[in-house]
Amino acid sequence: MLSLFIVSGLGVLAMLAEIFKFKKYVFPIVLGGLIGALGALYMEWQTPKSYALFDNMIVFDKMALAFSGVIIVTAFFWFIFANDYFEEESNVVDHTALVLFALTGALMLTAFKNMTTLFLGVEIMSIPLYVLAASKKRYLASNEAGFKYLIMGSFASGFLLFGIALIYGATGSFDIAEIRQYLTDNAGTVPSFFIAGVVMMLVAMLFKVSAAPFHFWAPDVYQGAPTVITALMSTIVKTAAFIAILKLFMIGFSGAATVWSGVLAAVIALSLIIANFTAAVQSNVKRMLAYSSISHAAFMLMVVLANVRSNASVSGILYYSLAYSIGSIAAFTVFYNVSRNGNETVEGFNGLAKRNPLLAACMTVAMLSLAGIPVTSGFFAKYFVFTTLIGTEYKWLLILAVLTSAVGVYYYFKIIIAMYFKNAETTEPVFFETSNKLVVIITTLITLIIGFIPDVITGLFVY
Amino acid sequence: MLGYTITQWLFGILSFLSIMFGLMVVFSRNPVSSVLYLILTFFCIAGHYLLMNAQFLAVVHIVVYAGAIMVLFLFVIMLMNLNEDQEPQRTWLTKIIAAVAGGLMLFVMVGSLKGSEQLQLQSYGASQVGLVKNLGKVLFHDFLFPFEIASVLLLAAMVGAIMIGKRDIK
Repeated sequence: MLSLFIVSGLGVLAMLAEIFKFKKYVFPIVLGGLIGALGALYMEWQTPKSYALFDNMIVFDKMALAFSGVIIVTAFFWFIFANDYFEEESNVVDHTALVLFALTGALMLTAFKNMTTLFLGVEIMSIPLYVLAASKKRYLASNEAGFKYLIMGSFASGFLLFGIALIYGATGSFDIAEIRQYLTDNAGTVPSFFIAGVVMMLVAMLFKVSAAPFHFWAPDVYQGAPTVITALMSTIVKTAAFIAILKLFMIGFSGAATVWSGVLAAVIALSLIIANFTAAVQSNVKRMLAYSSISHAAFMLMVVLANVRSNASVSGILYYSLAYSIGSIAAFTVFYNVSRNGNETVEGFNGLAKRNPLLAACMTVAMLSLAGIPVTSGFFAKYFVFTTLIGTEYKWLLILAVLTSAVGVYYYFKIIIAMYFKNAETTEPVFFETSNKLVVIITTLITLIIGFIPDVITGLFVY
Repeated sequence: MLGYTITQWLFGILSFLSIMFGLMVVFSRNPVSSVLYLILTFFCIAGHYLLMNAQFLAVVHIVVYAGAIMVLFLFVIMLMNLNEDQEPQRTWLTKIIAAVAGGLMLFVMVGSLKGSEQLQLQSYGASQVGLVKNLGKVLFHDFLFPFEIASVLLLAAMVGAIMIGKRDIK
């Protein structure tokens, strides 16, 4: 709870920096604040309050705290990485404030217990992002990205609200625990508009994680938005939206699984096929990473599909989101520096191994992790997801997932091949800010460490 | 009258009018008249709120939606100077796809709501819940946290609007 207050307070503080002229200190203040928020999370972890706060609106149990931790750690690295970009921008303060507000929404999504907090969390997270996607005002692609995201996102929010209204009409409650109770009490006699509501909420949430067939906005928005914002969207936002889906469907609508599991299985299969095959033919790296994020969304949805409330599934998705976020941050940081000259294609990586050997090695680890090659954390992430699905009737999805992952290896290796086996025109090292170098190295180390000893994360708590 | 009470008559008339005006919003070709029909739709919905004994909501609905937001809409549309002939022509394919998708949505909604009139109505609290006093109690007690956190949402929207709108000063 305290971390939520700290992050939203930081947002307000960052806003004031322009007026009271402490713009230069915003960056250290934000980093300090995020460490403080992490400390607050740790304190609450020692004495977790599993009871809900504010009349059942929000509950910071161990699950919420762990996922908040993933989000804050990612945000910490993201801020160090993005500081360099912000220095070139005139409105640093607005950017920082908006990102912190989006972070507030993300933290709410980890801890919501009520549909009202869910909806507000989704909106608080999305609205700053619409603006941030369009923040390069002079670039048509950025404007297009912001506009597309806004229109489609508002449409999805409309679906979410309509779904919530229908579910409230059937159950008379916004509380997900009460909805769960309602489903067990009235099994078999649930009115059909409740089911319509569940499907509508599923559609809206799938839009937020950009699963196929609701993924059409993702490549354009990811490509058009500034690279740092794309990194934010594909890590923090995605993690937060996943926790929301996980809580909503595994806790709230678990009893109505027969309704949504078939739909979800189809969505996962479609996402895997569309994302991996389309990513393989992309030449723009940002677009490729957008499609790769769709396929990762499909993997994370598998845990929801398994619909088993167990330690393995919750810590599996926790591990997956951490591995994916950290790997993406490393990849985006390297890509941001490589594409400084405006070349966003794979050719930009040509000869990086000779120019910056250390960073090329880090990028290789990030790519291997995203592809799911053993020893890196990405492999164990996929492994944990597969083990939750193995006991269910959706084993055919596993075969599809393994086959499409093989396609995935192809496009991740395109970048590795470009770095090691292609020659660039120059052999001059690419300019990297020291802070960016640190981010890349530390995130790579984390990827390797949690890959070698996954128990650090999976053994964190017993659900 | 015909075995219906006055409330039921009012409900029927208001529902008919709101659906009709809603359709007019979609069908009228001139954007300005669309907006005007939308305002009429909002008034009809406010009437529904009154029937449900939610005076506060009815007044807020008129003041905020019909008053503030729609005026803003009108300004924007007039500033953009949209005319009928500037409307982009859509191809038959997109029209058919939109009609099928929308029709399916309608089909699902009607299908899922069919039969719900036989459901036992649960009492969700007293009929006085829409009055200002009771609404305030709910808002500042049960829904205190969402009410407060909505301020972050509004703040973010304001900061965003200013950031998009202001000129870059380097």
